[in-house]
Amino acid sequence: MAFKAVGVKKHYPGVKALDGVDLEGYAGSVLGICGANGAGKSTFAKLLAGVQTPTDGVINVTGYPHPVRNAAEAEQAGVLMMHQEPLIIDDFTVGENVWLYKLRAGKDIRPWAVKQETNDKRTREVLRGVGLGHLSTRDLAKDLGPGQRQMLSLSRAAVTTHKIMILDETTASTSEEHFNDILELVAREKAAGTSIIFVSHRLNEVFAMCDRIAVLRNGKLVKVLEAADTDADEITTLMIGQALKALDRPAAVQTSGAAPVLEVRDLHGGTARGVSFDVNPGEILGLYGLVGSGRSSVARTITGQRKAAGGTIKLHGTDVNLPTPTAAVAKRIAYLTEDRRLEGFVKDFDNGQNMSLVALPKMSTAGVVRSAEEKKRVRELIGEYQVKGGTTTYTSTLSGGNQQKVVVAKWLETDPDFVVLDEPTKGIDVGARANIYEIIHGVAARGKGVLVVSSEAEELLSLCHRILVMRNGQVVGEFDPEQADTDDLIRTALTHVD
Amino acid sequence: MSTTTTTPPPVHHYEENFSRSHALVSWLKGQYALGILAALLVIATITRGSIFWGATNMTNLLLQMSIIGVVVLAQLIVVLTGGIDISVGSALGLAAVVAAGLFGGPSVLLGLLVALVIGGIIGATNGWLVAFRGLEPFIVTLGMLALARGLVYAYGSGIPITPGAAATYANLGQTTIVGIPLLALVWLAAVALIAFLLYRTVWGRRVYAIGSNKEAARSSGIPVTATLWSVYILAGLLVGLGGWMFLCRFASGTPSAGNLMELEAIAAVVIGGARLSGGHGKVFGAVVGTVIFAVIANLLSLLNISTFLQDAFRGALILVAVTLATVQFVRRKADASGSAK
Repeated sequence: MAFKAVGVKKHYPGVKALDGVDLEGYAGSVLGICGANGAGKSTFAKLLAGVQTPTDGVINVTGYPHPVRNAAEAEQAGVLMMHQEPLIIDDFTVGENVWLYKLRAGKDIRPWAVKQETNDKRTREVLRGVGLGHLSTRDLAKDLGPGQRQMLSLSRAAVTTHKIMILDETTASTSEEHFNDILELVAREKAAGTSIIFVSHRLNEVFAMCDRIAVLRNGKLVKVLEAADTDADEITTLMIGQALKALDRPAAVQTSGAAPVLEVRDLHGGTARGVSFDVNPGEILGLYGLVGSGRSSVARTITGQRKAAGGTIKLHGTDVNLPTPTAAVAKRIAYLTEDRRLEGFVKDFDNGQNMSLVALPKMSTAGVVRSAEEKKRVRELIGEYQVKGGTTTYTSTLSGGNQQKVVVAKWLETDPDFVVLDEPTKGIDVGARANIYEIIHGVAARGKGVLVVSSEAEELLSLCHRILVMRNGQVVGEFDPEQADTDDLIRTALTHVD
Repeated sequence: MSTTTTTPPPVHHYEENFSRSHALVSWLKGQYALGILAALLVIATITRGSIFWGATNMTNLLLQMSIIGVVVLAQLIVVLTGGIDISVGSALGLAAVVAAGLFGGPSVLLGLLVALVIGGIIGATNGWLVAFRGLEPFIVTLGMLALARGLVYAYGSGIPITPGAAATYANLGQTTIVGIPLLALVWLAAVALIAFLLYRTVWGRRVYAIGSNKEAARSSGIPVTATLWSVYILAGLLVGLGGWMFLCRFASGTPSAGNLMELEAIAAVVIGGARLSGGHGKVFGAVVGTVIFAVIANLLSLLNISTFLQDAFRGALILVAVTLATVQFVRRKADASGSAK
């Protein structure tokens, strides 16, 4: 046994994040912890890593004399925590980031004895272990993509000694390409006798990685199952406490005769090189591709987030020039960003202020906000979009799903003609996911054009009327979701043969 | 606009459940600046109570805080965007001497116009470099600090400039309306104007959004550069107004006008609870910060403490207040992360 938690509780003012959880982890075994947002899975990981201390109950790490009281003790006890946000120093090189842990303070570390890590061979070996063998150790960390950053952060597993490794939503910012590297890393750790905890709500990844799966709901442990004896349906049911009803197919589009909402011709910009497509009224068009395929460049270019390098965009048949997001908003084009924390909402704003941010000019006279009307409207929106918390709750304190609902409300309040959603359900639990899908269907049903960009093939297959696949900045395939499956999309995205 | 939601949505009103008295108590807890002010007033009452609360001293105090008060407002709106303006003191000085000297300073109204134009030009230059050229506000306004102060000395050759209408200026500076100095009323009007702009207009909401999260603001279609520019221009106009008020108070454009005012303005804004990284701060806090510094200066001179030590006291207070502010902030952050789960 690697650790044993008995009766662990963590109470915050007004919230019981964990309410009496008993859980054990074994050496050389992977334990998955699943749960909807707010179920307490990240709290459990933080308690085990000593980042926070339990209100009641104890967690004993085998071989350590007493329950760990802080992060430093947890580290001594052999607990390695991999956070959702990669621990990377942007201005350091890749090589320096690999050896970052040597800069910390501790008994066995002498910070004044820092010397340039000259063992490039060892560094490269470590990088190869996380699928970054092609990088130079002298590259700056800030030039890496989000997936590469996460993998670089994970390389710490190869250079520290530990008995327990926690992966807290570590795959949230990596895409499907990097997952195999993570699997290999986990396999090596298992062979070395590490006890691994994988906190996630991506069930396919949980099943690919874990030996046992613990399901949490509302701070309580529902059940621990052997991964071999269960399936995604059962886990989902346990997570949300009821069977998830199958998502309805979107209503068919009436395309006959209607002119397209958006016509894109030979668009260049970012990594997109000559992309053309139409979106009809009431149509949900999916855009699939791997990281770097140009899918996000297309989304950002047609919404004014970045300048187009060439090509034309027609909205309702007229050419539009979209040099800035301001111009796009004026043309009633909405863009729901992939990076919610950075671009989605304002962190010091409450729900009300965030939801009225874009549509505020509509609620004002000569630049003066009609406060009563704004208050009334945002209160309605909170109800309409089922956002947890009130109008004066800070959006940054909400779960990912609720944050996304606030962002969706903010954009739909402008009554856009064309909506672009980049990874609309990234880091969002199943319950909120269904809400977001329903909202997207609703937008299309009102005759608007919708473009959904996603790295999850399944999501697009169940959500869209039509799917385009991109590779190397170009559209390389078009699919009808009724007649295609995940395999078709991924295969096309990876290797396209003319 | 309706969504596809069919079930009646659950409506949460956590915040409405708090009673008013509870809200008042929790509001007071965040107002440590008011606590400092109260402590200062108690000290003043104990040590020099009769003089301090006397009508003459009160008028003096109000006059003292009016000019810096307007400059604090300028600093506040810049700080809210995540910027900083350390050129306010020099800009005020330049506005004052040029308003006093141009055409011989024949008229108070012309002086006001000149001061506003000078302040506006300086603000517009700062703002253009920050918003459109993407330069650091600190370094831009540092350059402007040296430039404007140099022009002040050059314009008057280092000698105070007395405007032609000096008597009218002095008269205005001594005018009181129902016992309140005219300059204090000008300051209060500026407070009301800035509060209105920040809290009730689209522009104000944009200022906060930009300061808190520039990327989200840009992505939401907010005209970030234009808004930033307008903030610096408005700050410049306020500083110009401050320069004109300086002339009213002292009837002369001295070369040292506005010297070190940037220090006091930034400190007042920070003591008032604004965050230097932007997006967080209130007009009320800035006003309290202004009053605190005026009371300290006033009290120290009533206590006959040397002017050199006065500066040291002021510096020490800034350190104490900033430390208090971070204690508050850390606690609030812990609460926020706690309730987030």
